[in-house]
Amino acid sequence: MTVPGERASARRGRHPGKRREPPPAGTSRTAGYFFVALYVALLILLGIVPVVYAIYLALSHPAAGSGPGFIGTFSDYRFLPAFKHVTEFMAYWLISQTILVVGLVLMLHSLTSRVGAVYRFLFYIPGALAGAASVIVWLFLLDPSASPFAFVLHWLGYAQFNNAIAPSNLPVIFALMAFWTGAGGWIVVMYGALNNIPHELLESAQMDGANAFNTALRIKLPLIRKWVVYMLVLSFAGGTQLFVEPAVLGTASLGVGISKYWSPNQLAWFVASQYSYYNQAAAISLDLLVFGLVIAAVLVWRGRLFEVE
Amino acid sequence: MATVTFEDATRIYPKTDRPAVDELNLEVHDGELLVLVGPSGCGKTTTLRMLAGLEHVDEGAILIDGKDVVKLPPRDRDIAMVFQNYALYPHMNVAENMGFALRMAGVHKAEIVERVRAAAKILDIEEFLERKPRQLSGGQRQRVAMGRAIVRQPRVFLMDEPLSNLDAKLRVATRAEIAGLQRQLGVTTLYVTHDQVEAMTMGDRVAVMKDGLLQQCDTPRALYADPVNAFVAGFIGSPAMNLLQGTVEAGGVRIASTVIPVAGGLPKAVGEAVTVGLRPESLSLAPAGDGLPVVVTIVEELGAEAFVHAQLANQTADAVKANIIARAEPLAAPDKGDVIHLHVKEGSMLFFDAVSGDRIASRS
Amino acid sequence: MTIPRRYLFRLVAFAILLIFTAFFVVPIVWLFLAPTKTDGQLLNRSPFAFGSLSTLAHTFHTVVTYNGHSVLIWLKNSAIYSFGGTALAVLAAIPAGYGLALTQFIGRRALLATTLVVMIMPATALVLPLFLEMDKIGLYGTIWALILPFGFFPFGVYLTYIYFSSTIPKDLLAAARIDGAGEWRVFRYIALPLARPIVALVGFFAFVASWNNFFLPFVMTYDNSKYPLQIGLQQLIGSTASFNPANFSAGSSVVVLHRPDLAMAVIIAIAPVLIVFLFAQRALVSGMLAGATKE
Repeated sequence: MTVPGERASARRGRHPGKRREPPPAGTSRTAGYFFVALYVALLILLGIVPVVYAIYLALSHPAAGSGPGFIGTFSDYRFLPAFKHVTEFMAYWLISQTILVVGLVLMLHSLTSRVGAVYRFLFYIPGALAGAASVIVWLFLLDPSASPFAFVLHWLGYAQFNNAIAPSNLPVIFALMAFWTGAGGWIVVMYGALNNIPHELLESAQMDGANAFNTALRIKLPLIRKWVVYMLVLSFAGGTQLFVEPAVLGTASLGVGISKYWSPNQLAWFVASQYSYYNQAAAISLDLLVFGLVIAAVLVWRGRLFEVE
Repeated sequence: MATVTFEDATRIYPKTDRPAVDELNLEVHDGELLVLVGPSGCGKTTTLRMLAGLEHVDEGAILIDGKDVVKLPPRDRDIAMVFQNYALYPHMNVAENMGFALRMAGVHKAEIVERVRAAAKILDIEEFLERKPRQLSGGQRQRVAMGRAIVRQPRVFLMDEPLSNLDAKLRVATRAEIAGLQRQLGVTTLYVTHDQVEAMTMGDRVAVMKDGLLQQCDTPRALYADPVNAFVAGFIGSPAMNLLQGTVEAGGVRIASTVIPVAGGLPKAVGEAVTVGLRPESLSLAPAGDGLPVVVTIVEELGAEAFVHAQLANQTADAVKANIIARAEPLAAPDKGDVIHLHVKEGSMLFFDAVSGDRIASRS
Repeated sequence: MTIPRRYLFRLVAFAILLIFTAFFVVPIVWLFLAPTKTDGQLLNRSPFAFGSLSTLAHTFHTVVTYNGHSVLIWLKNSAIYSFGGTALAVLAAIPAGYGLALTQFIGRRALLATTLVVMIMPATALVLPLFLEMDKIGLYGTIWALILPFGFFPFGVYLTYIYFSSTIPKDLLAAARIDGAGEWRVFRYIALPLARPIVALVGFFAFVASWNNFFLPFVMTYDNSKYPLQIGLQQLIGSTASFNPANFSAGSSVVVLHRPDLAMAVIIAIAPVLIVFLFAQRALVSGMLAGATKE
């Protein structure tokens, strides 16, 4: 992440014609600094400095015994599997979440508002369970002997807990967890976005002969496209950072042996805490950081979703 | 081509006591442009939406070509509507907006293209077909909204205040265009507006509504000259008709302290109150002693004519201060503060019951 | 008689909604019923059976007293970290959002853009660099290693910025300035009184994010006495017989936890957030839709 001043001057160079607007009459130019002071201090201390330090660590030559540096990361035999795991997880998660959230919210929007509100509320509740809590709940759900969904597990052929959480199933399981906790919140947000559609447009569609299905597909969906993209991108960026679920699930592995470095973030933490390979840890987390940053920047500048004025 | 008939059509919103539309009986003739006009809350938009199928009909029937459509959803009624805010789909370009209904109806793509182009040509928007609504001006969007309705070749057009979002000058120009277009296409049209000038200039007939009730449905000329009650008389015409308190006298009517003769008298007892209607152009400046004495408060110079606002002189102490507007020639307008006399033109007074507002038959 | 298509669609839609409702809700219902049953009852009886109140009391007691009342220690820690972090977040974000919205200074736009970018970036991306930094400057292991990062809340700044931009007309401030009010007075007497909704909104989001955070505390704390509830939960899994049978040999004197106990712990851990969630759906929508440009 570049220092703010750098970015600002780069932007000013690109728009030479832009005047800086004068302050409203009677206002001081410096008062603003006091208002943002505490926040900027936190931003520097907790946003910029750690990143700069991580860059320094990642690029510097390792002292003897502190593990391979930036280049070494990619050749680490554990990096590629971790990367693969997360990619698989994200494929399952993002595709199913997008389809299901959009489908459900369109369905709910065509119901009367009170009934829809009840459903939305119910879907939203699991969002209160944070990473560790939701993992525990799913540990119960995936255990055929105690789960309320035991019949589903048996139908899938899993008679025992070990089978259900076999490593090959992990991407799907994590996708299920992520969907279970996250879908409700996104449904609520998309529903709000659907409500922003002027009522006249929907009436016009009615007069034009569109039934509920066509209205949803051809009118409502295109008008919330921005939000679907937003959800997709945010989830994508967050998904790469996966840590909690595999870490917590790993504590209950029952000898199945879920890897301690299943996801890239876990790997970074592992090498930092086990070997004190700080340089390597910094490098991995920087990879993830840059990835998240690029996506964020693209969304802000090209996404037309936020006002920056 | 179709006739539209409202038979005792009623709409009561839940938890209200007064119906929004109260047993409306109205017929729109085939090919006519009927304007529904009235103040806010009079029920005109509700009536339109009932015909559209966007509003539930609680009692009564609505017939299109003799067939009751109350139970049919909007898309089965073969009607098209132009919304007040145009309701253009922002994510589609003009051509797609106009073709949407046809697409929903399963019309062949080639035919859609053809019909869209034809409609665009009539409205002179062919060059915009590829553009999105946000790239168009208000007037252009309005045309697209109309084009969307035309392209469907429906039996009835519905228009919900389509001009109210345009600036004044554009409104006047577009008014004539819409009226001309309707005449050219000959489609039965129900048009809603709150602007009585729009109503008078565009409608073949005009229906005036108030508080959910139809007051009068007639040609503009008849509405102007022969209003059925005080409300219609005061609503139609600009500046509004003067409605003054009067008392019946033998052979005439007394306004303030002046008695104006009424040929044939009034079917009311002497001393009874009555409401007198006088249009500004029925009053003219007169020499002293003839007509109503008034004190001038403001003179509005409009170039081709002037309107003199005045207050009745010699009013009794407990009478409401009555304002009166008279039309005057621009060069002969009096000054503020002058005491002048207004002569009442023969046969121009209209009389209304002081309580109910209904028109009383006799004229002077 | 064939069912008309319309009704068929409705039936299918209803069935789908029912399935998803079960998917989302059944686990929660099960979770709340679990502590009322013993471990054996959990296995043998229906998932929706209610056990007994005495079992519930027993489970509660087991969980709370486990390992020297660890749960209470963790609860206290969570409260300290979360409330501390939330307080700091609100204290920093409200004036900052105001400054960005209604004052002018060099670098204002840059700061806003930076805030946006950091806000969208997943917070977990910063955890390891933060760990490295905290270790370097010696705050590692202190509560500040958690409260400070929790207090850094760019999303709160953005929300406040949008709020002040849209609710306070610039003319109002101009009038106040003409009346002779200095910048601080303008903020104190005009903006702040109007800020209650946004303080609540920012507080809500900051609190939920802090309370639910796992990765940061995982990295920053190493001692049972410092763990927040989220980390504590993970510890409890390790002590739960059904998930780690290898850890417990017969006759061991270690207190062993069972499934109902774990469920009880989860309920305690999520209780504050769940309560807040019940009242905050609207907050979520307004927060997420804040400032988004309309078509």
